[in-house]
Amino acid sequence: MSTNLLIVAFERPAIDWHAVAPEIVLLSVGVLITLLDILFLEKARPYMAALSGLGILATAIPLLTLGIDGTERVLFDGAYVVDNFSLVLKAIFLLAGYVVILLSTNYIVDGDYWESEYYGLLLASLMGMIMMASSRDLISVFVALELLSIPAYLMVAWRKRDPKSNEAGLKYYLMGVFASAVMLYGMSLLFGVSGTTVLSEIADSIDAGNGSSSVMTLGIVFVVAGFAFKVSAVPFHTWAPDVYEGAPTPVTAFLSVASKAAGFVALLALIFVGFYELSNIWEPLIWILAALSMTVGNLVALRQTNIVRLMAYSGVAQTGFMIAPLAVAGHSLSTGNQALSAIVTYLAIYAAMNLGAFAVIITLARRTGSAEIDSFSGAFHFAPGLTVAMTIFLFSLAGIPPLGGWFAKFEVFRVLATSGETWGYLLAVVAAINSVIALFYYATIARKMWADDPSEKDLNNIEVTPSLVSALAICVLVTLLFGIFPQLVARFTEVSLLAFGV
Amino acid sequence: MTGFFLSQIQGLDPLTSDEVLVAQNVFFALIALVMILAALKMVTTENIVHAALYLVIVLAGAAGMFILLGAEFVAVTQILVYIGAIIVLFLFGIMLTKGSFGTEEGELRERNRMAVLVAVLIVAVTSGSFIDSFRDAELNRQAPSTTADIGDSIFGQFIIPFEAISVLLLAALIGSVVIARRDQ
Repeated sequence: MSTNLLIVAFERPAIDWHAVAPEIVLLSVGVLITLLDILFLEKARPYMAALSGLGILATAIPLLTLGIDGTERVLFDGAYVVDNFSLVLKAIFLLAGYVVILLSTNYIVDGDYWESEYYGLLLASLMGMIMMASSRDLISVFVALELLSIPAYLMVAWRKRDPKSNEAGLKYYLMGVFASAVMLYGMSLLFGVSGTTVLSEIADSIDAGNGSSSVMTLGIVFVVAGFAFKVSAVPFHTWAPDVYEGAPTPVTAFLSVASKAAGFVALLALIFVGFYELSNIWEPLIWILAALSMTVGNLVALRQTNIVRLMAYSGVAQTGFMIAPLAVAGHSLSTGNQALSAIVTYLAIYAAMNLGAFAVIITLARRTGSAEIDSFSGAFHFAPGLTVAMTIFLFSLAGIPPLGGWFAKFEVFRVLATSGETWGYLLAVVAAINSVIALFYYATIARKMWADDPSEKDLNNIEVTPSLVSALAICVLVTLLFGIFPQLVARFTEVSLLAFGV
Repeated sequence: MTGFFLSQIQGLDPLTSDEVLVAQNVFFALIALVMILAALKMVTTENIVHAALYLVIVLAGAAGMFILLGAEFVAVTQILVYIGAIIVLFLFGIMLTKGSFGTEEGELRERNRMAVLVAVLIVAVTSGSFIDSFRDAELNRQAPSTTADIGDSIFGQFIIPFEAISVLLLAALIGSVVIARRDQ
């Protein structure tokens, strides 16, 4: 007995190295960048952007082999799972990360900001995201959330000589930490009732009768509120406009796409794997969040004169659309699966169109030196290609066929309308009204760019750097391809989290 | 030798489990009372250094709670991290920045009223749901996990989050140096 206390036999955990290969490759690239920075200092600087871009592409290789292999890999008793859902989302994160690096390349050099550290932090944040896609355990989810958030807090403040950026960084940090604290408290309540941190075991505990406990309800409410902050849903959206405006614009693009998607992934994993049975608790919550986000986001976006702030509110409204299918997901298993596919589809298409819109904004703002919408007037005269691209992205965000955003919105409406619930129809009506409002402000920007007279005398064509051209090309291609051939994206996003546990 | 001492310690069992429970409850009530008083003083005191020191009492009380529950590892971590590191950081921060706090009287009072409202609301909701859920449920008297178990699970079940935290700390360190250092 006494010897047992002193010599505890430690068993090396069985690790499926293939399953964690993407994480390990990305980690190695991050370590490599940090080491090169320490060893070569300034001499390594010009290669950092290319190196991190290549690193992300290298990370995609194990992702591909895992996808071809196709088996579901469950590690650590269900705490870390590599299935189709996580693979698709990891691919979205990597693509978004790659585009953000393309967007950052010139921005960071021009501003003379710290470069190697910037890419190191970007990769660390990306690492948190691909970890989040596989996390099925409260502790992994929380650590992944912090790993993706803390580098983001720092990157928001990266323009450190600008007080606006400092303010944005501090605001994002304080609000983010507060949301984390609320969420963590919720998680501790969930653990307190169920006695486990693994989501599928929490589902078992709910089945066993713990679901009626009011502490469980409180835990779910706190956790959902914490993630509502991360995805900037109303009423937890107040940080978004200031942070988006103050942060370096590539970082804004990263936050509005990748960070938001990561929040969604965690929310989906928690709801579908953990709390699916308790739909009477989370469905009304999500319904309110969705309806408020769409309406408030769109109405406030109408009044914006700064394009980055407008994109922040448009992002809030888009969150409302993305979260809407969840409000009926508990109706039946098939509705649940459809809702999940619709959200993943929306995330993939939203990533492409929103990053594309930010790519145009970054390029134009480099020329005009301002992010006011009026300064983009008559952009057609000095940047015809960019104007066409921006029009594609804006109309895609508004949901006009045959662009990608159309299919994303269509899927959302389909889930809401076929669920057979009155609340679902009602939310579909709210979404339809909001689509019209959104079209108004998206079209206003496009009209200004095409029809108005340019405010500047200089009508030489704008100079677009190669990295921005490639970023734009990727985004335009994805937006058009997914709109014209929606079955392409549907094939990949037909994923399920409800296969077991229910 | 060690085995002998351990068997001696395990052999001693002067209190029955019911008596242990009574002792636990008495100490729980004492510590809880001290914590509540210190927490109230912390938010009402005018002096921010005093507030930080009252926070020490609250955190030490939390560590005491963990010891009562037999979770010695968490208790020691609580003392090392919160009292040892975070409070000291607070005090350094206060002394280095010399900021003036609470000068705008009216605004502060308005904000205080909101804070009190929110705090009361949260206490009501959480305690209501705790009482509703647990009522007369008894504490599970199973021995909690020992430090050795925790070590095993960190390097076993939770190895991925553990490695992720080390990446996180490095990233936070590098990033905060960049933000904080003075550029030429």
